Amino acid sequence: MSEKKKVDEKNEEKVAVFICHCGGNISDVVDCEGVAEWAKKLPNVVHSEDYAFMCSDPGQKLIEEALDKGATRAIVAACSPRLHELTFQNVFRRKERNPYYFEHVNIREQVSWSHPHTKDEATEKSKRLVASGVAKVSLQGFLEAPTVEATKKTLVVGGGLGGLRAAKDLADKNVPVILVEKSPFLGGRVTQLDTLYPKDDDAKELIHELIEEVLSNELIAVHTNSEVTSFAGSIGNYDLTIKHTPRGVTSKIGEKAAKAIDICPEVVENEYDYGLTKRKAIYQKYPGSYPSYPAIDWVNCTKCGKCAEVAEGITLENDPTEQSINVGGIVLATGFKPYEPYEGEYGFGQHPNVITLPQLIRHLADNPSEELIWNGKKVERAALIHCVGSRHREDIDKPLEDGSLNYYCSRYCCTATLHMANELKDKFPDMHVFELFKEDIRSYGWGYEDYYTTASEKNVRFFSFLGEELPQVEITEKKHPLSITVTDRLTFNETMIIPTDLIVLAVGMMPEEIPDIIDMMKVPQGAERFLLSVHPKLRPVEADVDGIYLAGTVQAPMTSTEAAIGASGAAAKAAILMSKDIIELQPYVAEINESLCKGHMTCLPACSYAGAIYEAEVDGKTVARVNPALCKGCGTCVPSCPEGAIQVKGWTLDQYKAQVKALAQDPSEV
Amino acid sequence: MSETEDFKPKILIITNLKCSDPGADYVGQSHLEYTPNAFIMRTKDPSVFPEEFYFYCFEQGFDGVIIMSGGTDTPFKGAYEALAKMIDNVYVSMQERGIEIARLRLTAICSVCAEAFIKEMGRIVEAVEPLGPIKV
Repeated sequence: MSEKKKVDEKNEEKVAVFICHCGGNISDVVDCEGVAEWAKKLPNVVHSEDYAFMCSDPGQKLIEEALDKGATRAIVAACSPRLHELTFQNVFRRKERNPYYFEHVNIREQVSWSHPHTKDEATEKSKRLVASGVAKVSLQGFLEAPTVEATKKTLVVGGGLGGLRAAKDLADKNVPVILVEKSPFLGGRVTQLDTLYPKDDDAKELIHELIEEVLSNELIAVHTNSEVTSFAGSIGNYDLTIKHTPRGVTSKIGEKAAKAIDICPEVVENEYDYGLTKRKAIYQKYPGSYPSYPAIDWVNCTKCGKCAEVAEGITLENDPTEQSINVGGIVLATGFKPYEPYEGEYGFGQHPNVITLPQLIRHLADNPSEELIWNGKKVERAALIHCVGSRHREDIDKPLEDGSLNYYCSRYCCTATLHMANELKDKFPDMHVFELFKEDIRSYGWGYEDYYTTASEKNVRFFSFLGEELPQVEITEKKHPLSITVTDRLTFNETMIIPTDLIVLAVGMMPEEIPDIIDMMKVPQGAERFLLSVHPKLRPVEADVDGIYLAGTVQAPMTSTEAAIGASGAAAKAAILMSKDIIELQPYVAEINESLCKGHMTCLPACSYAGAIYEAEVDGKTVARVNPALCKGCGTCVPSCPEGAIQVKGWTLDQYKAQVKALAQDPSEV
Repeated sequence: MSETEDFKPKILIITNLKCSDPGADYVGQSHLEYTPNAFIMRTKDPSVFPEEFYFYCFEQGFDGVIIMSGGTDTPFKGAYEALAKMIDNVYVSMQERGIEIARLRLTAICSVCAEAFIKEMGRIVEAVEPLGPIKV
C-alpha cells in the first residue's frame, strides 16, 4: 500500500475549504472572501481560501496544493454538485487520494441565485452551509467503492434514427447490442419524411442504408414488436425483461402478401400518413419497409382468418413471450411524436383543408403530380402557419389535456416550413405561398438561412404575428374556402386578410409517451416532459441514472442531423462504459455494525430490495448482513433497527446530526 | 414587543438527491426567491431518519422542518411509504411532547418543481411564524 493511501486510512481530519466566486455568479451576492476567512475558525479546517473559478485548472491546482501541504479532506462551496462534484473528486483521484473525502457545498443555485437581494443573509447562509460541509466531511469514514464485472452488452430502446445510429456505432466499437422496437417496423419517424434538409437527401434511402447496416451486423440483435417490461440492477449489470409480441406473419408470405392485405376486412386509419389514408389490420408500413413483409395489428385484427386462407406464413396467435436479458448499459432512443392540433385550432378538424405539415409531406411524397389537388380541388393558394404546438403562451394558448403548455421552441419547424414553401414553389410555380410566423423565423444552422433567402426570391410572402395576436381562420363560401386574418408586424401592424385553399400547420415535437420506462428506470423528465440529461453542456447525453444514455429526440426537439449526432454521442458514452472490465459502484450502501446487531432482523422487512439484507450466523449469533451489490443505499432500513446498528456509509446519522448542528449555529458564535 | 414580532423562523429543508435537491437547484436557475433563513441539507433519501432525529433538529433551534421528498417519484422502492409512516408517528410524538405539528411538513418536490418549492416554503413559513420560536 502506498504512503498516500495510508494517509487516507489514518483518517486525519484536516480539512481544506475553497469558496468559488463562479465569476461573479456567487461573489456578486456572497462575500466569498469573508466566508473563506471565517471558515478558518471552523474545527478541523487547516486551509481556507476563495478563488474566481474553482472548476478551472488553476482552481483544481489549489486543491492539489492543499493536499500536498497536508490536508486530507476538502470541501468546495460552489455551484451545484451535479455539475462539478465529479470534477473535484477527480482531483483526489489524480493525487491518489480517496475521492470520498471530498464534500461539495452548493452556494450558487441554492444561495446566490435564490437570494440575490439579501446579500448579508446570503453570506451568513453560505457560512452555515460551509460549516455543515466541514462537519460532514470531518466525520467521513474510509469509503471504498465496491466493484462489479460489467456485462459488455448494451440495450438500445427504439428502432428509429437515434436507436439505429446508436446501435451501429456501438457495434462498430465491438459492443454487442440488443435493439428493441415497440412497433413492427424499423426506421421510426424518418421513414415518414420525404427529403431532408440541408442537402435534400432522400429520407428513406438514408434510413434504409442505416437499417441494412444494422441488420447485417452480427453484433446487433434486432427485435421488433418488443418492449421492456421489467428493469432491475445497476450500472454494468441491468437485468431486464423484454416482451416479444408475435408479428403474426413470417417471410414465408412472399408475394401473396398483397392478396392477404387485400382480403382483410378490417379498415383503420393509417398512422403512417397521419390518417390521410386507411390501412388494413394486416399491413405493411409502406412498400419497401423493414422488415419487408407485413405485420398484424392485434388491436384491430378480429382473427377472422381470411388472410391465412390466401397466404402462407400467417399465424393468428398473439400470445407474447418473455426474454430475460442482462446488459451493462442502456441507450434510450424512444423519439418524439408530432403535436396534434386540437379541434378548431386554426380551423383544424373543422375544415378538411386545414392540415399539418407532416400530413402534407406524406401527401406530396405519395402523390407526385403537376398540380396539388386537395379535397377534390386544385390548390392555388397555400398558407403555412408556424409554431403550432410550440412556444405556447400562458393565458393565450389552450393547454394540452394534462393542463401543460409547450413553452419550448421545437427547433426543426421553421426550417422545415421554409423547406416546404420552396418545395411547393418548385413543384407548383403558379401557387401563391404564404408563411405566417410567430414573431421570428429561427432557421438556425449551417446553410439553413438560404432556405429563407430562396423562399423570398421565389415570392413566398411572409407575415409576422405576435404570440398574443394569433391569426384568425374563417371558413368561407368563396372561391378560396379559408380566410386568414392576421395583424402583420412586417407592415407595421396592418390587418391582412389572406384567402387560401389550404392551411398547413407546422406542428411542434412532443416527447413520445413512455410512462412505463420512466417509472421503471426512474429517469427524470424536464419541465417539458422530455428526458433530462445530467447537464446540458457537461454531460449532455447521460441520464441521471448511471449507465443510461439518451439518444436523439427523447431528450429534446431536434432535427434529424442533430438526432444522429446525439445518438452517436450516447453510443460513444455507452462504449466507454463497455470498455471497462470492472465498474465502480457507489460506496454509499448500508453497513451493519455486527457488534451492535442483536439479530432482531427488523431491518429485513424494512428493505424493499430482495437479497440486499440477509440473515447470517456468526459464531453462533444471528446477525443481519448487507449485500452491497443489491443495496441501493436509500437508508429506509436505518430507523428500523432498535440498536442503531445500521448506517448508510457516507451518509450516517452522526454526519447528519453534525450538519444540523452546524447549520443551526450562529456563525458569529463560531 | 410580542414574541413573534419580527420573528423570522429558521427552517431546515431536507431534500433528496434525485428529486427535490435538483428541484432546489431549479429554483435558483429560475431566479425565484425564498427566505434566506432556510437551510438545505441534502440526503440520499429522508426515509433514513428515525423519529428522534426530528426532535434533535428542533432541539438545535430549528423552528420548522420541511421534508422535501420525491414522493412516489423517489427512486427507491418503498422509501416514500416508509417515510410517510414515520412522519405520522413523529406527529403523534410531537403532540405528546407539546410541539406544534405545523412545524414539521412533509412534501413531494420533483426535479423541476420550482414553483411548488416556493409555494411549500411560503406555506411552512406562514405556518410557523405565528407559533413563534421553537421551545423544547
